Amino acid sequence: MKNNRFIIIILLLFIASKVSAQNIVKYELTVTDTIVNYSGKEKRAIAVNGQIPMPTLTFTEGDIAEIIVHNKLKESTSLHWHGLFLPNKEDGVPYLTQMPIEPNETFTYSFPIIQNGTHWYHSHSGLQEQIGMYGSLVLLKKKDDPTFRKGIDDLPAVPIILSEWTDIKPENVHRMLANANDWAGIKKGTTQSYSDAIKAGHFKTKLENEWKRMLAMDVSDVYYDKFLINGKNESQLSQFKAGDKVRLRVSNGGASSYFWLNYAGGKMTVVANDGNDVEPIEVDRLIIGVSETYDVVVTIPNEDIAYEFLATPEDRTGSASIYLGNGKIQLKSRMPKLNYFEGMKMMNDMMNMDGTMDDMGMDMSYQQMDMNTVMYPEISGNPKMKMDDEMDMDDKMDHSNHSMNANQDIVTLNYGMLKAPQPTTLQKDAPVRELRFELTGNMNRYVWSMDNKVLSEVDKILIKKGENVRITLYNNSMMRHPMHLHGHDFRVLNGQGEYAPMMNVIDIMPMETDTIEFEANMDGDWFFHCHILYHMMAGMNRVFSYENSKPNPYLPNKEWAYKKLQSESNKFHFMAENDFATNGNDGMVMLQNTRWSFGTEWRLGYHDEHGYETETHIGRYIGKNQWFIPFVGFDWRYREQNGEVEKNIFGQTNTKDQRAVLSLGAEYTLPMLVKLQGEIFTDGNVRFQLMREDIPISSRLRWAFMVNTDKEYMTGFKYIVTRHLGISSHYDSDMGIGFGATLNY
Amino acid sequence: MMALLVLSITACNAQLKNQNTETVKIYGNCGMCKSTIEKAGNIKKQSVVDWNKETKIATILYDSLKTSKDEILKRIALAGYDSDSFLAPDDTYSNLPNCCQYERAKEVSSTMVMSTNNHSQHSNEMTEMQDENPLSAVFDNYFALKNSLVKTDGTTASTSAKNLSTALNEVKMANLSNEVHMVWMKILDNLKTDTQKISDTKETSQQRQYFNSLSKKMYDVIKISKQETPTYYQFCPMANDGKGANWLSKEETIKNPYYGSKMLSCGKTVETINK
Ligand SMILES: [Cu+2]
Ligand SMILES: [Cu+2]
Repeated sequence: MKNNRFIIIILLLFIASKVSAQNIVKYELTVTDTIVNYSGKEKRAIAVNGQIPMPTLTFTEGDIAEIIVHNKLKESTSLHWHGLFLPNKEDGVPYLTQMPIEPNETFTYSFPIIQNGTHWYHSHSGLQEQIGMYGSLVLLKKKDDPTFRKGIDDLPAVPIILSEWTDIKPENVHRMLANANDWAGIKKGTTQSYSDAIKAGHFKTKLENEWKRMLAMDVSDVYYDKFLINGKNESQLSQFKAGDKVRLRVSNGGASSYFWLNYAGGKMTVVANDGNDVEPIEVDRLIIGVSETYDVVVTIPNEDIAYEFLATPEDRTGSASIYLGNGKIQLKSRMPKLNYFEGMKMMNDMMNMDGTMDDMGMDMSYQQMDMNTVMYPEISGNPKMKMDDEMDMDDKMDHSNHSMNANQDIVTLNYGMLKAPQPTTLQKDAPVRELRFELTGNMNRYVWSMDNKVLSEVDKILIKKGENVRITLYNNSMMRHPMHLHGHDFRVLNGQGEYAPMMNVIDIMPMETDTIEFEANMDGDWFFHCHILYHMMAGMNRVFSYENSKPNPYLPNKEWAYKKLQSESNKFHFMAENDFATNGNDGMVMLQNTRWSFGTEWRLGYHDEHGYETETHIGRYIGKNQWFIPFVGFDWRYREQNGEVEKNIFGQTNTKDQRAVLSLGAEYTLPMLVKLQGEIFTDGNVRFQLMREDIPISSRLRWAFMVNTDKEYMTGFKYIVTRHLGISSHYDSDMGIGFGATLNY
Repeated sequence: MMALLVLSITACNAQLKNQNTETVKIYGNCGMCKSTIEKAGNIKKQSVVDWNKETKIATILYDSLKTSKDEILKRIALAGYDSDSFLAPDDTYSNLPNCCQYERAKEVSSTMVMSTNNHSQHSNEMTEMQDENPLSAVFDNYFALKNSLVKTDGTTASTSAKNLSTALNEVKMANLSNEVHMVWMKILDNLKTDTQKISDTKETSQQRQYFNSLSKKMYDVIKISKQETPTYYQFCPMANDGKGANWLSKEETIKNPYYGSKMLSCGKTVETINK
């Protein structure tokens, strides 16, 4: 980093001072490009006041916050105050509550602090949060607050913000996810290939999984190089002594990782969630969803020992630690690797052939029955132990009184255990507005939606000031989703009656049904979305809009802005591949968004006898599973075969020498993920084709085949060497055998 | 517990780049422990661990650019074996086979049972713990030198450096613990040269150049020495022509010795050293 830039940043740090007389607390934040090295490689990131995470901002309830943002990036930015109640125009969502803060522009956020608790803040522009724009936001209680809890609110507190780092540019991460690129699985060792399945004694499980048209799935889909607590993989707070109690204000600023929290010094006491106090509850561990906050109190038990506070991402591919106390470090054991095939088996049992999920009458809700437990060796035992031993999936069970891991020793927090210290009931007699959303997704194409619609396909949802909004959410997708509502806390109807806990993020596991409710007491437009950044960017969003809101001075043209917002999460993803083989070039380019696909494939020989051939398709994915895609096409080919006439199996002929035709066709994904394509061409010819690429033989080896009614066929293998390179060999009825290198982007 | 280090370093055939060799105590019992410890510690082209089940001493060879002693000891602790820097997780320890259930250091430390070890250095160590740290004069003079640089006072800095030189020569090496001794031998020459250079001039800009490398060396030794109060290892990214420079301080508040009043509080604490 340049010297003078640093001087500026440091000077700005000094200016960020508190003017307590007027109760205005002011921070200056300068956003700059920076270079970081978390993994041994230098990569671009974004720093605020020269640091990652962004500085911790602290206010006391009753203060007025004034946060001045200088954008020194070459791109626009924004800051969202996650979990805060504030005027809509200060909420920091570009194209929804303000215009983006353009390069070299300064923008001032100013709002009164009318709540307390642990919150955080982050950029709401694109994927900036992934590369550094997250920070803790601590709102202190006033000393005379009637809810001040002696022994909790007066403890020394440490802000803890969790995050992850990937060396791959987040835009590319997103692109690769959309293209079902399985590089992350290879890096994580979770390809779940046929040979892995055979080794684990789960061949039938894998077969059934593909029969039901599922790709190998993981609890998370991004490979991260490092996991961080307050920007470091390992750090120590040595100021604490034996007997000290410490309150950790934990925010999950990760872009897509849920984190398990464990502590080497004994149990943890959960005292708040999403900035709201809860009745203290002792647990051995808890999982913190993306963008959630939890306050936990831990004790330093012994002299001369520092105790590890361990954050482990849900996929358990790494961890981050902070040591509390000084002296020898008491470690916490690492969480054992997941039994993926047990998870796959469970998914198979719950997946219907039509791609919908069946909870088998278990009425799952509020994290109380964590189906993932079948994958946790520390609870469900060694991998060979089958789920059937614990519960017979065919029997409908009454799960109302116990949770699945109730008889285990490890106490894991779930939402059902959270209870507000005071009643949280909403205003009586207010009209109730009932809404229901089904969380939906298509893993194979990484489309995430609500009621099978992405933001770009829906209008804002109008709500009225003064009504109570009750939302039922059902997760019919294969992944969990941390759903976040801006500007409001909602009650989570978890069975605690009047004392239902208040949250602003609710994690919903597959097949769960959760109900939340809130008082509509604001004004303006509020985002409601999945906080997994890549799901949000895939369109899993809605906007709640108050009827008759007053105009937003920062956003003069709201209709135009909403169109911009919609397009932000329905962008086209580019993909390209070419196999440079001894017998020719084989490749394709593709441009796809949620519903549309534009693609061209080619097979180019090295001489006229082998010929040249291209096929272009423009298609639209239909249905929630997107198994069906009708398209229009254009084929062109040239080959010198001295007038030799080819016959297809229907007896139709074509010379193949030179042909340029339009076509109408459709593709359908069959069980085993085989693609059936039917096409009728303007010259009257008809062609059907079966094809599957990327059959995972081993972690890096893929098998492909194609056969069609023109009596053409192909089979080949590809060994994936790096993210962009594979070694391939294939046999093609037109071009014979070939070896080559496949480059893909 | 530091006393349990041995001085002798086994001469091993060097197959690692940037090789560093250290010896540390790792608690354990038997041949089975040996294989678990070494398996956990070894990483191809990074680290080689050789643990002696009689002396409980491991010789660790590692590529200092790729890994560190702590990383290796942490892996070994996660496999169930305590060392003087890391304690194994309790559940991992109790899952060790019966023959490997060694007597744990943390139980020992509370009762100070020393009878189990009869190393010859033992008595030596006990007296040392009560005596003043043989390096305290060195540290005191270093901090005096740092303080004069904070004030941009070249003359005092030169005098402090002279005192530091004297202190360096007067260290009774026999009283140093083995671990400290090994580090001390490695860095002493550099310490002397840097200190000499600083005392030779009254120009603070030149003094600061040498102070940077002096501080780094001093950090190596202070990190492993016993101290009454914590020392803060601090860093200013602007110093040393933007390459950044470190210093040690007894105060947590930043007082930058590289800029003086111009940029007094530029920098941050990168490590708090407690021992
Ligand atoms: Cu957020
Ligand atoms: Cu948001």
